[in-house]
Amino acid sequence: MSHAPSPPPLDDDAVSALLLDTTPWLSCDDCFARMDTYVEALLTDPNHRDPAMDHHLQGCAACDEEARSLTALLVGERAAPEGQR
Amino acid sequence: MTAVREEPRPDRPIDATTTRDGRGGSASTPDRANEPADWVSALTGTGPDQVVAMRQLHQLMLRAAAHEVSRMRGALPDASPGTVDVVVNQAADEAMTALLRKLHTFEGRSRFTTWAFKFAIVQAASDVRRLQWQHREVELRDLDLAHLPAAEHLNPEQQAQGSDIAVAVAEAMRTALTPHQRRVAIALLVDGVPVDVLAQRLATNRGALYKTVHDARQRLRAELTAKGYLDPARATHRIPPSPTSTSAGTP
Repeated sequence: MSHAPSPPPLDDDAVSALLLDTTPWLSCDDCFARMDTYVEALLTDPNHRDPAMDHHLQGCAACDEEARSLTALLVGERAAPEGQR
Repeated sequence: MTAVREEPRPDRPIDATTTRDGRGGSASTPDRANEPADWVSALTGTGPDQVVAMRQLHQLMLRAAAHEVSRMRGALPDASPGTVDVVVNQAADEAMTALLRKLHTFEGRSRFTTWAFKFAIVQAASDVRRLQWQHREVELRDLDLAHLPAAEHLNPEQQAQGSDIAVAVAEAMRTALTPHQRRVAIALLVDGVPVDVLAQRLATNRGALYKTVHDARQRLRAELTAKGYLDPARATHRIPPSPTSTSAGTP
């Protein structure tokens, strides 16, 4: 009699999250300190790279959401007509 | 986040046009021409100019908080206009307090408004996450290590599906991580508990939890590299990222 195989203990997304390389180290406080300049730099040059920030945002969903939100807000501000920003 | 992209706009943008304290003014249509050229001087000065600058700063905070709450509206247990207004105003107030404490650290490397917005966005996002989880239990569970299948006992189909590396990661969690690292990593990276929420429940802070996860990831990567599951030269593992996942998962 054969038994159904046990499901893997972790799904692919969990494995990817657990094995993510978040070096070089950057703390959430440092990410917050640099978020404004990082987002402005990205809006000026979409190819701008800051490895520490890039890796931190890949590894920290909260900081990533906030950086995306700041980006969207600035994009909206720039698109709004003068006087309606 | 590695590339700029415009986010979808919410169906119903929140109109943060009034302040709770009756100061009025439109947070969504500020008169930018009258904003201070030197915000720091205006905010640290005295007299009517400082009062005006403080009012304008509060409008910035309201605008950014409303923007963030609007993005995260779906996570609010009660997204009625009245509740949303309270969340936006409280976040704006707290963010303004936090900003004023840090005002001396502004170095002018970005526009002041960009620098100011981030305080309100971070505060509002954190507040929404906490409201989302306020009536939910946070379980600090461990892996079911007793029923872990051995990687060598997986059939070829399971191995092809990546079960072997999943088992290897689980085994490395048992051998290379402390119980605290394991529970924090599972809560944040497997169960999806927001880092702010877990920090509140454990009476710690976001930075400490992120450091715990960072260290856990380093240990797991070292262990998996030693066992041949990760390519040390390329620093990658054999499971490609899910095409549906936007972030590799995370606090």
